[in-house]
Amino acid sequence: MEILAFLLLISAFLLTRTTRLSTAVHILLAQSAVVAAACAAAGWQAGETHMFVAALLTVVVKAGLIPYALLRLVRLLKKEREVHPVVGPNGSSLAAVAAMVLSYGLIERALPAVISRDAVASAVALVLIGLFLIITRRQAIMQIVGLITVENGLYVLGLSTTRGLPLIIELGIFFDVLVMVTVMVILAFRLKRSFHSTDTSILKRLKG
Amino acid sequence: MYELIVLALGLPPVTAAASLAVRRRGFLKVMNVAASLTTCGLTFALAAGVLRDGPYAGGWLFVDALSALLLVVVGLLTFTATLFSASYMEAEADEGHIKPGLLGGYYALLQLFSFTMLAVLVAENLGLMWVGVEATTLASTLLVAFYFNRSALEAAWKYVMVCNVGILLALLGTILLYYAQLSAGGGGAPLSRAAMEALSGRLDPFLVKLAFVFILIGYGTKAGLAPMHTWLPDAHSQAPSPVSALLSGALLSCALYVLIRNLGIVTAVLGGEFVQAALLLFGVLSVAVAVPFMLVQHDIKRLLAYSSVEHVGIVSFGLGLGTPLALYGAAFHILNHAVAKSALFYLSGIIIQRYRSKHVMRIRGLFAAMPAAGTMFLVAVLAIVGTPPLSVFFSKFAIVAAAFAAGKPVLGAALLLLLAGVFAGMMYYATRMMFGTAPAGLAAARPGACALAAAGLSLAWVVGTGLYVPAALDELLTRAAAQMFAAVGGLR
Repeated sequence: MEILAFLLLISAFLLTRTTRLSTAVHILLAQSAVVAAACAAAGWQAGETHMFVAALLTVVVKAGLIPYALLRLVRLLKKEREVHPVVGPNGSSLAAVAAMVLSYGLIERALPAVISRDAVASAVALVLIGLFLIITRRQAIMQIVGLITVENGLYVLGLSTTRGLPLIIELGIFFDVLVMVTVMVILAFRLKRSFHSTDTSILKRLKG
Repeated sequence: MYELIVLALGLPPVTAAASLAVRRRGFLKVMNVAASLTTCGLTFALAAGVLRDGPYAGGWLFVDALSALLLVVVGLLTFTATLFSASYMEAEADEGHIKPGLLGGYYALLQLFSFTMLAVLVAENLGLMWVGVEATTLASTLLVAFYFNRSALEAAWKYVMVCNVGILLALLGTILLYYAQLSAGGGGAPLSRAAMEALSGRLDPFLVKLAFVFILIGYGTKAGLAPMHTWLPDAHSQAPSPVSALLSGALLSCALYVLIRNLGIVTAVLGGEFVQAALLLFGVLSVAVAVPFMLVQHDIKRLLAYSSVEHVGIVSFGLGLGTPLALYGAAFHILNHAVAKSALFYLSGIIIQRYRSKHVMRIRGLFAAMPAAGTMFLVAVLAIVGTPPLSVFFSKFAIVAAAFAAGKPVLGAALLLLLAGVFAGMMYYATRMMFGTAPAGLAAARPGACALAAAGLSLAWVVGTGLYVPAALDELLTRAAAQMFAAVGGLR
């Protein structure tokens, strides 16, 4: 579990460094694979079969369908990359480190009784870094990547504190995430067609 | 009861699937209006069933007076929105704003949107409620983007990003609640409301407080409470008018409902004071934020959207007061706002189609140009600003009076002052639009009969319930207020 938590932190850290969209999607894919592995490992420890189902779904949805759709979108965009993030890679990485320190400190204070401290702390860090990416990146794809990172973080948090939600709710969440990405990819395609770009900083007509 | 719930849940998705298959426009319209009317009837039957037999609880499903009230809101608005769409979207297709081939998709999304809202209202489990709320965002995003022009895309993107981030925070809060439940030894029925309430004496207060923060911010975003309301004016103004009506009247109410349900657990653990203070704060803030934007607004639909922020604020204020009178007012206000605001969005849709502009200053001489729709528009504006004897006045009055009765005269006076500002702003724009001579070169098209009927029906409801509250409705509101009292009143 410690190794997996460490890998998750690395993936989040790398996400703050990359400005290339396809690299970001690949990191996301790896991150989701780690989440699936963590889910399977936790299921093995607890001897619960429903967690293997969840692990399998994570692989199919988050390491399969979602990266596939995002990569197709990237290919369509050709040379687009994150040119002017609000905070540059160095600043983002610093913020990511701060998020990690913060989340470890938070866990120490807020949930001292939790067994797998590393997993919970990395989950909280993932949520914070994901939110940071959404706020500071302007490319539609980077924002989607940030959103999935937040979702992954929440998933690991649920996994490490409660052994995951009941399967029916879990299924609902997977379905929602899948539809969410589908809807956002459709919107990003349309943005590209209407604005010739998916840089969301051009979206500033609606005010007041 | 069980059969009614399953039918009400099953009909919209079936209609959605059928809408995608049907090609003939006339049949599409009739089928959807008939299906929505049936759904509406089923929600009324459910409410009657709750009044007769008491709350229904069975497995994952749960319907009590509070859910029944919201079911009636969603059912009624789905019906009027579909009826309105029957003429409005037809005209949009004829004028070339949307491709005629997309009409089937539009109705399918509308029915799915209605389904997700109904599902939220009959879910017993806090986890499934979350799944449902997330699904409402997904079903409505493409409706917000439906014109697929630049502004609509911008609005839809902001809508989906802001609401998803908010709703993920709510998921974080829900996971924390589940953790608290497990820590207290209640693993048998994860996130079931009944199980959690039974366990509330043993839940860790710190964890619940942490969860409360995320849940309030998360669902508050979806409900359009300031300062998380930023998606709302964009989405409401860019969506097709019937969709704006559903977003404003039904979706915001559903989000409030889920918030209330979650706060029920929180109050049981922490007591009412903390929850009430937060609701009062967000309530006053939402009204205060909306007023300046309404005074300088030039886009008629944005004006109505900010009015929705204001009204969600008023309901939140009523919830925060937490006295029986305030909660009766809040329950009544949810219903009144939903119906009155949907009528306003329908009428603004008719007006925009005629004037081909959303700009308030370019719309002159409504009385002369379209006497029927113009008169209805004036009545609807008078209703929404709270003019007696229309129903919105009574719910607003109950909430303001409750503030004074609860020993919070400063808050009550502040709210009254802000409401006076809203009144001035809305009436100024409304009278400007009403009088004067209509510009030359208006579109010749007359508003469709279905569109006028939808708006007229909603207005008749507002006027009718203002003059006389039927015993059944009063009973439903009283019981819903009692449910709210259990959730946020804090006197267990």
